[in-house]
Amino acid sequence: MILQMNHLPRKTSAASAEEVVATLQSLLEEGHLEPEQFANLYVHLDWIQYRNNFREPVTVVPIADEKAGKIPFFEAHVDLRQVAPGGFRAEMLKAMTPTNPGFGRHPAEYEGGIRLEDFGPFRGSIVWRFNHLYWQRLAEWEGSTGHGYEAALPGGRSDANHPQAVADGVADFWTLARDLEMKKQLPPELFVLEIGVGMGTRAGLWLDGFRKLDQERGTNYYARVRFLLGDYSPATLERSKAAVAGHREQCSFVVMDALNPMQTLSFLRHKVLHIHMTNVYDNLPDEEMARRDGRLFLVEARAYLPSCEAERIAREFALPERDLRRCIERLLEEGPGHFGDHARGVEFWRQVWGALRLEERMVCVDDLPAEALPGELDVNRLEEALREAPSDLRFHVNSGAMESFRNTLPLLSTRGYLQVQDIFVTRWSEYRLKFHGPGKLDGSIVNWVNGALLRETAERTGFDVHFAPFRYREGSHTSILFTTQRE
Amino acid sequence: MTLPILPTSVVGSYSMPGWLERLKTEYFARRISRHDLDEIHDNAVKAAIKDQEAAGVDVITDGEMRRDNMMDYFLERLAGVQIDRSSKKFYYDFYNSSVQGKLPMAPVGVAADFRFLKSFTDREAKFCVTGPHALTKRIHNEYYPSEEALATDLARALNLELKELVKAGARIIQIDEPYYSGFPDDLDWSVKVLNTLAEGVDAKIVVHICYGNRYGKPSWEGSYRYLFPRILDAKVHQLTLEFARRGGEDLDLFREFKPPFELGVGVIDVKTQAVETPDMVADRVRKALEFVPAERVTVLPDCGCFHLPRDIAFAKLCAMVEGTRLVRKELGH
Repeated sequence: MILQMNHLPRKTSAASAEEVVATLQSLLEEGHLEPEQFANLYVHLDWIQYRNNFREPVTVVPIADEKAGKIPFFEAHVDLRQVAPGGFRAEMLKAMTPTNPGFGRHPAEYEGGIRLEDFGPFRGSIVWRFNHLYWQRLAEWEGSTGHGYEAALPGGRSDANHPQAVADGVADFWTLARDLEMKKQLPPELFVLEIGVGMGTRAGLWLDGFRKLDQERGTNYYARVRFLLGDYSPATLERSKAAVAGHREQCSFVVMDALNPMQTLSFLRHKVLHIHMTNVYDNLPDEEMARRDGRLFLVEARAYLPSCEAERIAREFALPERDLRRCIERLLEEGPGHFGDHARGVEFWRQVWGALRLEERMVCVDDLPAEALPGELDVNRLEEALREAPSDLRFHVNSGAMESFRNTLPLLSTRGYLQVQDIFVTRWSEYRLKFHGPGKLDGSIVNWVNGALLRETAERTGFDVHFAPFRYREGSHTSILFTTQRE
Repeated sequence: MTLPILPTSVVGSYSMPGWLERLKTEYFARRISRHDLDEIHDNAVKAAIKDQEAAGVDVITDGEMRRDNMMDYFLERLAGVQIDRSSKKFYYDFYNSSVQGKLPMAPVGVAADFRFLKSFTDREAKFCVTGPHALTKRIHNEYYPSEEALATDLARALNLELKELVKAGARIIQIDEPYYSGFPDDLDWSVKVLNTLAEGVDAKIVVHICYGNRYGKPSWEGSYRYLFPRILDAKVHQLTLEFARRGGEDLDLFREFKPPFELGVGVIDVKTQAVETPDMVADRVRKALEFVPAERVTVLPDCGCFHLPRDIAFAKLCAMVEGTRLVRKELGH
């Protein structure tokens, strides 16, 4: 058995960890586990980071591998924070039961809960439709919770808007413009693009700062600036207008898909000098993979409502439990208004979101057809990239972030740079240190981004990628990715 | 060999297949032998030749399939240039290289590549050599007192190779100088160095100057105006320039300065995967003919097709050939 233990700072878990080992040993001795299963068991302690997430205290992940024997193998992920003292044995047995015996039965099925979809890559999960609903109907959610989405962020505000970070960014851009002017390469229009604009606060700060600096230094760059605010939510773009009201001549508002900025802005190919994104990649659809004993597995997910939660929600909203799935589908299609009582509809949305769980299974990549793999994933390339990674690890593929990255870089001018502030795993070995999502952040999904893979991809296409810690807020997990064209 | 009016050609590199890139990486990782890699290269060159012939290109190259990139292929072979073999991650990255003493005068030994090319085609063949200015920009100079001095010795060594190429039957040799556009102030000395390189070489000398094509992206922007009038001192036969991506505005320089060179006009944008139509190509050729007579024009892509997928590169070459045929017909050929 392989036991991987992580430690959550400020959480005492020594006693619980002892209990896990002793319990697993006794489950073997009592015959609940086959010796071969035990030998191949991979147990991950504190496989959780976000308080609000999609997991039970103990999650058992079956391993679908055609080359394996008849006995189903699985891994177990344990959130010691959720496990009550002395409660691990019951949780483990509960999680194992569908798998062993009766491999493949779903916890929801076992307990009478509600399964919301079939197994598939996480990118296609229904939870992303909830995420989409949140951003399209942000004001309704905020009206119901009584706080803005930024309040849910660590520190209660977005790192995008840190005044000093923005000021430093402004100074960097001015220096670039100056350098271009010295080399007689200053374009008549200086295109700047921000993707994912929030309330427009950063764009406003940036433009205020750049105009001030430009005036102080007597350069006439501000008039050349063409600042594009891009977001996939028209409502968000509308809200951002107030923050940049003093820069109307400079600003354009573009409804665009962060996954493919080139689709909307192809006329700016090789023309944009600076592109900025904060906390966009961590909210783009992704998948996870794992390497176990040298073989690659795709982690497939399936969303469900646990039976106790389904019962509670049905009772609270006076719905027959059998109608819950249909109500959820209508919520995702029509929004909370379909309830008639709008406030009640939003409350239903919030309750369902809070109760959603993900069941997982691991499928060996060798057993999957190529088209079942996420995005344009090239397994050969991935294996090359993993050469420098620890032998056993689970990691994000972030096909959404990769797609966005790939479709953003062609916009950059020769001297342009892309700056992404986000939660990055910058080295493969960091995946050994802690779990990196997905979690729930208010009504949206948050997920760490595999910076190591992103860097590998960029280097192959002629871009250098550097990561720097976000030094402007103490304790921040944010890193700044900085990309420039490689010589 | 008689070429048609408005002959079509390529700038040098053809599409680098993903499998070849992967196999080269395998070679660097010591997982396949040099012998196997040579055989792989031979087959890749034959495929590149076949594609160019099938597309109908008049003057073809070996597709530069053997080259990791335009710099290292020559730097590795230049006596006296030190290569740091640990300095690159992917085979198409540049090595770090340095010069710590006077360069010995010896040919670099690429004429065999040309012989191989000629043995598999009856078409007119062109061989491309990276110019001394570009090579100088990639070498860490620890010996020579100036870039010009280093470039001059590089030109002398390469001049020996150009003569070897002529002995091997090369009648058209292209010198690639993409860094001119990034360092326009160097032109005073780099044209002199270019003449040292071409001195006594009994072949048609073509100079290709673009705005960079690393990883399929431009390295610089601007106007070819910086070339004039200093480039007029170059003792070469043809300038090939990129016009498809940048538009034909700079063609006017050929009317303004009336250079003695032929013009190689770039009509295919190699930095986009959108395939031009023959009509678009024809329009670009017609535009060039407003400034230079047809007898002095060769039709090419803007730069090498290295970063284009093979099907796209092939489709672009077909469009180039077809578009050129449209114009030839209008000219009565």
